[in-house]
Amino acid sequence: MVLDKLSDSLKNALKKLTSGKVDKEAVAELCSEIKKSLISSDVSIELARNIAKNIEKRALKEKVAGGLTAREHTVNIVYEELTNLLGKEFEEIPTEIKPTKIMLVGLFGSGKTTTAGKLAKLYKKRGKKIALVQTDTWRPAAYAQLKQLADVLKVDFYGDAKERNPVKIYRAVKKDLEKYELVIIDTAGRDALNDELTKEIESIDKTVQAQTKLLVLSGDIGQAAQKTAESFHKAVGVTGVIVTKLDGTAKGGGALSAAAATKAKVNFIGVGEKLDAFEEFKPKNFVSRILGMGDLETLLEKASEAIDQETAEKAAKNIMKGELSFTDLYNQMEALKKMGPLGQITNMIPGMGKMNIPKDKLKEQEENMKIWKYLMDSMTLEEKDNPSLMNESRIQRIVKGSGRDETEMRELIKQYKQMKKMMKAFSGQSKKFNRMQKLMGKKGMPKMPGMF
Amino acid sequence: MLGRLKSIFSKVKKTVDKETKKPKEIKDKKKPSILTKLNIIKNLEKTKLKKILDELEEGLLTNNVAYSVTEELKKTIKESKPKELKKTLEKKLKEILSADSIDIYKGEKPIKIMFIGVNGVGKTTTLAKLASHLQKKKKKVVIAAGDTFRAAAIEQIQAHADKLKINLIKHSYGSDAAAVAFDAIEHAKAKKLDYVLIDTAGRSHANEDLMRELEKVKRVSKPDFTILVVDSLTGNDAVDQAKLFGEKIGIDGVILTKADADERGGAIISVAHETGKPILFLGTGQEYKDLKEFNADDIIKQIL
Repeated sequence: MVLDKLSDSLKNALKKLTSGKVDKEAVAELCSEIKKSLISSDVSIELARNIAKNIEKRALKEKVAGGLTAREHTVNIVYEELTNLLGKEFEEIPTEIKPTKIMLVGLFGSGKTTTAGKLAKLYKKRGKKIALVQTDTWRPAAYAQLKQLADVLKVDFYGDAKERNPVKIYRAVKKDLEKYELVIIDTAGRDALNDELTKEIESIDKTVQAQTKLLVLSGDIGQAAQKTAESFHKAVGVTGVIVTKLDGTAKGGGALSAAAATKAKVNFIGVGEKLDAFEEFKPKNFVSRILGMGDLETLLEKASEAIDQETAEKAAKNIMKGELSFTDLYNQMEALKKMGPLGQITNMIPGMGKMNIPKDKLKEQEENMKIWKYLMDSMTLEEKDNPSLMNESRIQRIVKGSGRDETEMRELIKQYKQMKKMMKAFSGQSKKFNRMQKLMGKKGMPKMPGMF
Repeated sequence: MLGRLKSIFSKVKKTVDKETKKPKEIKDKKKPSILTKLNIIKNLEKTKLKKILDELEEGLLTNNVAYSVTEELKKTIKESKPKELKKTLEKKLKEILSADSIDIYKGEKPIKIMFIGVNGVGKTTTLAKLASHLQKKKKKVVIAAGDTFRAAAIEQIQAHADKLKINLIKHSYGSDAAAVAFDAIEHAKAKKLDYVLIDTAGRSHANEDLMRELEKVKRVSKPDFTILVVDSLTGNDAVDQAKLFGEKIGIDGVILTKADADERGGAIISVAHETGKPILFLGTGQEYKDLKEFNADDIIKQIL
């Protein structure tokens, strides 16, 4: 995940700021820690140094506001400086003009074409009439790649597999594109040092005249990022940045420095191979997350995407009656899984990020959930809806059918009973319950299985 | 490439000059190498040595050498006696860059080479370049279209195979990459070909399911050489990529791509250091011919 190292070392360094006063030594240590982790996250050296310097200066100089501890005071400053780096507020890409044209530019292999597909999927979901245009005439099968994505997404596609001149390709379809609300234009990958390709992108840019020009950068790019971004910016005037491949161990710092260098905001991040592995990038929420302050907004958003209204309401009704079926448990687990890896989710829950739950513990829990799913998949509908039916012979059958062992089945039943008990306690306290029902009804907040 | 790394050393050189304040001692007509200069450091006080190390650190970092690798380089140099600074630095760099090389031209036919790496590093292009390189050596090659995941990956490698007039063994999208590799190997055996080049889908080294899948391709195809392809522009993640692919799949050699797009070249040092495996080639452009054999001595000479 982005700036993972920074997050870990910040949490550790901030722990040391426990005394009432802003301790000069502790701040210096914190800042050197920040600098170090920014650099090992690929943030440009100069930028890392400036951020660390600013934080140190401000933490020592600025008065601690009334009521704040030294730690809170410092965390605030770190928060401000980091959000400064990342561009503060999130802004939607303006899409009022018809057709809005979004052009993607970037280095070889940064993920432009996949990103074009992801953008199309996102805006299609939002109800836009979309066209995808391929102007990459260099890489073999670039045409086929975007066309296949367009077919999967059921979005119109334009391009010409035989034409070598991208400007001609665009001119030929320009008229057709006027009927769309959003046109996403993919371009060939190029390295910023190649003059021929730089000239080409300039001429594509002049022809297309896109309102939005997004630089697609790989999350693992190192110290070359800034210079790359600057040269693309010089050629076409970049309006925003998309950072890709952030699902691995990529640090993202290179791409973030690049964004800072062009004063363009990071609009989206790519977090996986599938077309919906794509997120809007909200700097404030992101910084809260890495500082261990949680990010409820994103959590709720993810939750409402993961669980549908009907399931949520049905579950709520059951719980109101103090009932809980395996079906409910199953749905909750599915919803939770859709929201992403547990590690990411726990980081969004205020307070939990600070707890530093060991990663293997979370992994273990994820494994357990998988096993429980297999077991539940081997239950009949009747058993799922009415767990009290469970008896020895049914248990044996389920164990056999799922290919798991009995201990795992017992563990599932234990988990179920615990949850049921918890739910009963909830339904007993109607006040608390109403609040929860509201949450579930409106925002579709799934209940977390009693996992930690 | 590596021009920037060279500049670090010249910067360090300048500091050494300044700190010793006896630059005139060296009256070589030839440009004194950094190592000659470092000889002088033996007389330096510790504080001044620190300054030099700081500059070395900054230089390495700005040139995209991973943080962990930089720290270790610094440590080695710091621990050495001032008298031996020159030797230490030279030795360390040599050690990093010249792992025991492997000979991809020797082995029982068909020689199987598998390409692995994260998404977008240039595996397919590199595979095509190596195929062309082998063809020039009069070797008969077959390619296995092992990326059955990404849209149009098969069409992409097909286009290369067509251009090079090489047979491509392919299945449909979503099919088992290990089976594709297996078929290609059978094909090569039947036709008595020299090489099987196995392409694989790019994947995040942190994705365990995808790594298990790759492990299976390797288990089934038993490649003679597994080559990790790394993008030269990669920052600190180069170390993680090298480490995880090395641990989970095992690699025999490395090819760094897009070396023409970056004059820093630090990724070479990071990856070589982390894997301890030889760097076989550098990808230096868009054409098939843009695949240069890596020569550690040249590079070391260039840097120092």
